[in-house]
Amino acid sequence: MKKTPELSRRSLLKAGSAFAGASVFGVLPLKAFAQSMGLAPADHCFIFAYFSGGWDVLLSLDPRDPAVFTPERISETRILPDYGANPGGYPTTIVRPEGSNIDFGPAIGNMANHFDVMSVVRGINMNTVAHEVGYRYFLTGKEPNGAAARGSTLATEIVGQMVPTASTKVPVPNVAYSIESYNDRYPGYANALRVSSQQDLLLTLAPSPTQLDSEIEQALIDLKGNKVSCEADLYNSRGLVGQYRDSLAQMQTVLGAQLDKYFRFANVNGDSAELNAYRAAIRSAYGLGDGTNTTTPAARAATAAAALKLGVSQCVSMNIVGGLDTHFNRQQQNATNQRSGWNALAALVTDLKSSEHPNGGKWMDHTTVLVFSEFSRTPLTNSTGGRDHHISNSCMLLGKGIQHNRVFGKSGDVGMAAGLIDFETGLPSPNGQAILPDHVVATVMKAANIDYSITRVEPLNGLLA
Amino acid sequence: MKTVAFAALVFCLAGCSRETPTPLPVGGEVKQVELPGNHPPLTTLPDPEANGGHAGRAPRRISVPQLKQSIITTTGREWAKLDDLASSLGKADYAITVSDSTEANLVFAKFLDDGAREVCKATATEDLLKPQGERVLSAEIPDGVGIPSDELLQRNLQSLALRFWGSSLDEAELSTWLNTFKTKLYPAADASASKRWQAWGSVCVAMMTDQRFITY
Repeated sequence: MKKTPELSRRSLLKAGSAFAGASVFGVLPLKAFAQSMGLAPADHCFIFAYFSGGWDVLLSLDPRDPAVFTPERISETRILPDYGANPGGYPTTIVRPEGSNIDFGPAIGNMANHFDVMSVVRGINMNTVAHEVGYRYFLTGKEPNGAAARGSTLATEIVGQMVPTASTKVPVPNVAYSIESYNDRYPGYANALRVSSQQDLLLTLAPSPTQLDSEIEQALIDLKGNKVSCEADLYNSRGLVGQYRDSLAQMQTVLGAQLDKYFRFANVNGDSAELNAYRAAIRSAYGLGDGTNTTTPAARAATAAAALKLGVSQCVSMNIVGGLDTHFNRQQQNATNQRSGWNALAALVTDLKSSEHPNGGKWMDHTTVLVFSEFSRTPLTNSTGGRDHHISNSCMLLGKGIQHNRVFGKSGDVGMAAGLIDFETGLPSPNGQAILPDHVVATVMKAANIDYSITRVEPLNGLLA
Repeated sequence: MKTVAFAALVFCLAGCSRETPTPLPVGGEVKQVELPGNHPPLTTLPDPEANGGHAGRAPRRISVPQLKQSIITTTGREWAKLDDLASSLGKADYAITVSDSTEANLVFAKFLDDGAREVCKATATEDLLKPQGERVLSAEIPDGVGIPSDELLQRNLQSLALRFWGSSLDEAELSTWLNTFKTKLYPAADASASKRWQAWGSVCVAMMTDQRFITY
């Protein structure tokens, strides 16, 4: 098994001086830091963004023209966009930026402006309207057993197959931020660093508040490195102790790098002016205010970008926004929450589009993004004005390996039912197939150029670049 | 099949022993060890053929409630932040996650290290003020002996190993621990009054973050 790189005292000092010497904020400090630490960002990175609770795709990825789908026609269409019901400055009709081949709903926010690097998949048949089932289905690309996930999560598959090598020195290749992660067949390196809040991430990356004398610290490290008794080895008969030892080694690497400083977005008294200026640039780009609120979608997006660009991670999966399970009242809450998630992602894409990747080109050219939710909401409102769970769904794919400015698939104009789609053209066809989460996951794996046979389906070939 | 399972267990243990193992009888039958008359009945090991080639169940990492109780049992005090970190340590919240995760992953390793330091510092600091009979981490060391003798140190290390892991250190490992304590931990901690807790406190951290503490 490959070990994560050890960081020497010398490389830490080099990192500090490189950072202090960087004069351009934003990209350069990160690049200088990563290079001097011996961290090399992966050539192909991934972000999986989950909208929790079941999004209303009429508000974002699969809109309908309210002038056509009127209240008077609902007995015929079974669809009611009801866009006028959303106060708060939302558009009341379909959003389509100039040059875009993709229509968006009113809650899409700034994300619509990135049509040039995305595709939207519509008419996905989720085969479920249960939260955990749809969520785990999209995470793994395998229909769960009841509510129990089967197989590894997509991020784990990617990291597991793209074994970190000396040239991709990412110390924490797989981060799962408020999202589930499964590993059913790969060694410990593919396990996600699973955190439930940014505070937990910082606690993971920061040294313990209770420090021991440096000689004692070193003695403890040496002691842990010793061969222990046979009895202890017996406990490793199925890898558990090996996983723990890997985790301890990973911990030493992460702590040695003092990575926590670069994930704190509020200014810290006593830190260098350059470091605080880097933080100010991030706060401005992501709209983070003073940087102390780490629970917002924008803060999560900024964290994901920092993890990739610093060379800390290759795959970041995150629950970017929740509060979408809006059965009651009108859709204002769904629209508000979706828009905050989309705007956070838009800031992330803007960042990736404008940042240089060390291997050439922009970061967006080296990153594949999948945005998904467990299912969508009914095209008709219920008696309280809310929307219930709907089996047909949409998702968004962006970046490397995916065609851009493209709609693939279609939901029906009656009840937004999932239909049969030709996987080459992306158009409805009586000879086509239903698009399932399996196909979307296979498409991402194919885009990553890894084995997608675990999905037991073919990817959406027409969507691949 | 009971015989096969027993043979597999004997084979595993023999492979780990430092002494030359007695060869298994060829073509014969391995006889089960007679248990003492008042010994409670033992559960038969599962058939290895039906158990992925293993004679027993897989080792498991302790869950968060088990960890909480283990820390209380071994040190007599709670890890104050454990409940706040429980979700990241793998405890199900029954809202987003409905089953406990018992992966020994990076987050678990780091947080356990933090927790061990917090609890061990408090325990070791308090020990410095207590008479021998009431101490947790240096119960075998009499008051006012300066650097204790090897015999006392070994006895204390064995008592801690039993306390934290439920098993003793074997000869080679005991020698390593003794040497580390005498040449590194004790001198560094003895250098100033504010560091004195670190002598046995660091042993506590090492034992609490050892794989034997978190597996069963």
